[in-house]
Amino acid sequence: MQSYRLLILPFLILAVSFTILYPNFADRTLKIVVREDVYSLPEADQKTRVNALFERWANDYGKTSGWTIEPQGTLPPKENPFYTVKGRFITSAKINQISQENQSLVSESKNKLEPTWIEETIRGGKSLSIKLGLDLQGGMRVVLKGDFDDYTSKLKDLYAKELSELNLTLNNPTAKPEEKEKAKSRLAEIESSFDLSPMRKIVELEKAKMIIDNRLTTQNLTEPQVRIQKEQDAIEVSLPGVSNSAAILEILQNTETVEYRLEEPTPFLFKGQIADSERRMMDLGKRENTDIYLFQELVKNKAGKKAQDEFLESLEKKYNIPKDFKVYAMWARGNSAKSALLPRSFVVLERKIALSGNDMTNAQPSYNSNSYGWMVSFTLTPNGAEKFFDLTSQNRGRNLAIVWGDKVISNPVINDPIAGGRAEISGSFSEQEAIRLANVISEGALPIPLSVLEMRFIGPTLGIESIEVGVKAVAIGFFLVMVYMIFYYRLGGFIADLSLLVNIIILAALLTLMDFTLTLPGIAGIILTAGMAVDANVIIYERIREEIEEGRALSIAVTRGFENAFWTIMDANVTTLIAGILMIRLGNGPIKGFAITLCWGIVTTLFTSLFLSRLFMELTVNRLGVHHLNLRPFFFGKKETTNA
Amino acid sequence: MHNINFTKYKYFTLSFSFLAIVFGFVVTFAKYGGFAHSLDFNGGLRTVVELPADKTRNDLEGYFQSKKIEAVVILLEKEKNIYQLDIGLGSLDTIESLYKEIPEVNRESSTSAIDRFVQLLRYEYKLPKEKVLSADQVGAVVGGELTEVGITLLLTTLAIILLYLSIRSQFKFALASSIALVHDILMTLALIGFLQIKPSVPIIAALLTLLGYSINDKIVVFDRIRENAHGKDNLALSNIINVSITQTLGRTINTSFTTMISVVAIIVGGAVELYDFAFVLLFGVIVGTYSSIYIAAPISEIYDQLRKKRFA
Repeated sequence: MQSYRLLILPFLILAVSFTILYPNFADRTLKIVVREDVYSLPEADQKTRVNALFERWANDYGKTSGWTIEPQGTLPPKENPFYTVKGRFITSAKINQISQENQSLVSESKNKLEPTWIEETIRGGKSLSIKLGLDLQGGMRVVLKGDFDDYTSKLKDLYAKELSELNLTLNNPTAKPEEKEKAKSRLAEIESSFDLSPMRKIVELEKAKMIIDNRLTTQNLTEPQVRIQKEQDAIEVSLPGVSNSAAILEILQNTETVEYRLEEPTPFLFKGQIADSERRMMDLGKRENTDIYLFQELVKNKAGKKAQDEFLESLEKKYNIPKDFKVYAMWARGNSAKSALLPRSFVVLERKIALSGNDMTNAQPSYNSNSYGWMVSFTLTPNGAEKFFDLTSQNRGRNLAIVWGDKVISNPVINDPIAGGRAEISGSFSEQEAIRLANVISEGALPIPLSVLEMRFIGPTLGIESIEVGVKAVAIGFFLVMVYMIFYYRLGGFIADLSLLVNIIILAALLTLMDFTLTLPGIAGIILTAGMAVDANVIIYERIREEIEEGRALSIAVTRGFENAFWTIMDANVTTLIAGILMIRLGNGPIKGFAITLCWGIVTTLFTSLFLSRLFMELTVNRLGVHHLNLRPFFFGKKETTNA
Repeated sequence: MHNINFTKYKYFTLSFSFLAIVFGFVVTFAKYGGFAHSLDFNGGLRTVVELPADKTRNDLEGYFQSKKIEAVVILLEKEKNIYQLDIGLGSLDTIESLYKEIPEVNRESSTSAIDRFVQLLRYEYKLPKEKVLSADQVGAVVGGELTEVGITLLLTTLAIILLYLSIRSQFKFALASSIALVHDILMTLALIGFLQIKPSVPIIAALLTLLGYSINDKIVVFDRIRENAHGKDNLALSNIINVSITQTLGRTINTSFTTMISVVAIIVGGAVELYDFAFVLLFGVIVGTYSSIYIAAPISEIYDQLRKKRFA
């Protein structure tokens, strides 16, 4: 391992790391988008809203940050309805704060932090900046209230048919006594499910909490805090580092389900009507007037679920579609696999749900190499399997649509009855969508609808004083450690410092790549990493010194020192790594955050101390012609004799 | 280098540790009735208020101390003088009785603890309503799950370390390391209880860090013992232990020292909310180093002696 050529490797790794870390330090551009409706307001109202923003800007946002905002003090022109903010260290917390405090002016969901060229090239525009946790920078806090009235009314709808049948049986004089008894107990059972005792509510909230937890994890939010507020029947969600709270809210509140519905019988009377009129429009060259085009525009403009529902309902009226049927959009991709998932045509399905998400479990996304697309396979519950078999044997030749949320994602023809408890859904999914769909099936839908009780920006849970002092302290600590290492091991200490710096840089780059949210426990993990990295070098140098004291030539002493220290360092790090991996698997929020930094820290430490330090050391000794290596502290060190 | 006889005092150090742990836990439970309450673990009241410019953190802390309310005061925004006040559940009764002392005219009848606290605060600091930016009764983030997960985690970690070290070196070293790790955790918990430090997320981070540090430290010492013991089965282990610890002493001191530098910087720097974190960490580093030398090594020696006696 004594070649100059090996130096390429650390330089390459450093170059890559710096590239990854660049967006954290780069000058960035943020677009704060003005709400559309502001432009139609009277001028005085516009002015108050704009003034509120700039007053706060002068007092708060702009003061210390050194950011610039354009245009200053006025409403941006309608053609370009956004303020352009430029500066360094634009954090998601600040973006959030600005949007939250100026809700009457800013359309938060459209705000955009322009990706830097690096993010554009290597991540397709996805952010590469380090996210800071709630304790360090604050974030969003949302309190979601469980809507139990809505929940019971839905439950009542669900059981309405069965209830009336049961009542019929009870009131039927000809019914057998045992039948009546059975109906009575079933009735009691159903009615007890309407009764929402505080205990029941907590159980439902716990279920909802679990689903929210899972959803947030799949959103790559590593350290959200979700807690139940018993007093208010609410769930409090704290979200660190979220810059677009509207999108996250949608995910949280999403009561989206997966279900099977039969399409209208052939020959598609209603679907045909819609298609005919769409075709007529196209023939007239009025593509912009077709319903599907209008619907796509709604989706592209993020008009929200309500607007989409209203649009579909208006179609039902327009085409006189009977009450038993419902209009849905069939969603698919365009010609290329990379184009967006958008509504492409309309279908008319039965209002009745043929098979609901409750009948499915254990969904897994998988890649289908035959059709080069993602699909989701799942298991049916025993009850579901029976229903599915009946459904498919009685409706051969008809189309059975899979509805995900409000989207029809697949609409295959039933060829043969399907028995056995497994089935799959193939649509034109991306990997992410397949994972999401699988999650919806596996986790189930939210048991209760949730409404936003309160949403606001919150400050860091550690005070700003502490963070400032803490950062300074850690920086001073690092500096002192490095000075001490040079004092104690001289040239060796310098090499150790060099590899410590490289270590921290690689670690930071790795954590950035993994979309890690940095919190205080995470920083604790980094401090421990640094401690163990220094320790590894100390172990090595003590070994080298022993070899020198035994009278070995310097180059041999260095080699043997590294060899003797190798297993000690390995053992220490591997054991800690095992503990770390366990913490990741078992732990929650803070423990996980700590363990992730620790585990990756160990990987980088092993690399820098066993490879990099050794490379530097051997090059120093063998190539730079250093014949005396004094590994004793200045002032105290007795002169060492080496047989170089 | 002259060898220091570390194992000479083994019965003293072992009993000292044992007594210290017992003492710490007895005080924790007999005197205080358990560990301190905290927002992260038990839930409580969280209020964010904007105080008049002339009020400082010291005023707030002085007020809470004089009224015997357990509160954590956090400065959120310097310019606007905004504070977050976290009140543990333990102080609810105190708040209720203080609330009753507010003159009738200033008091709106209220049933919830958080309302009572807010009224108390508004009365005390003459705050208009809009200066109370938020007030909530919050649930525990980490409490319940953590105790359960924590114990499982510790036991599994110990089991795996035991297994790994048994394979890599010898069972006696693995056993001694594991016992010493448990010792470190118990010692630190005893201290946390004894000083009634509020358990919080940073404290957990500190405990985990000391666990990692402690494992590292023990393995380094034992690796040297193993190396020196290689092929010298007939030699007394105590001798080898003493030689090994002396050989690694320079490294132990250096590493403890460099680790402590950052920690001490936090304490000296005065980051109020990080003080407990740094304090526990500092204690942990000292305990971890102490136990590698005075707990783990002697235990492996005692185990060795017992085994040799059995097969003698």
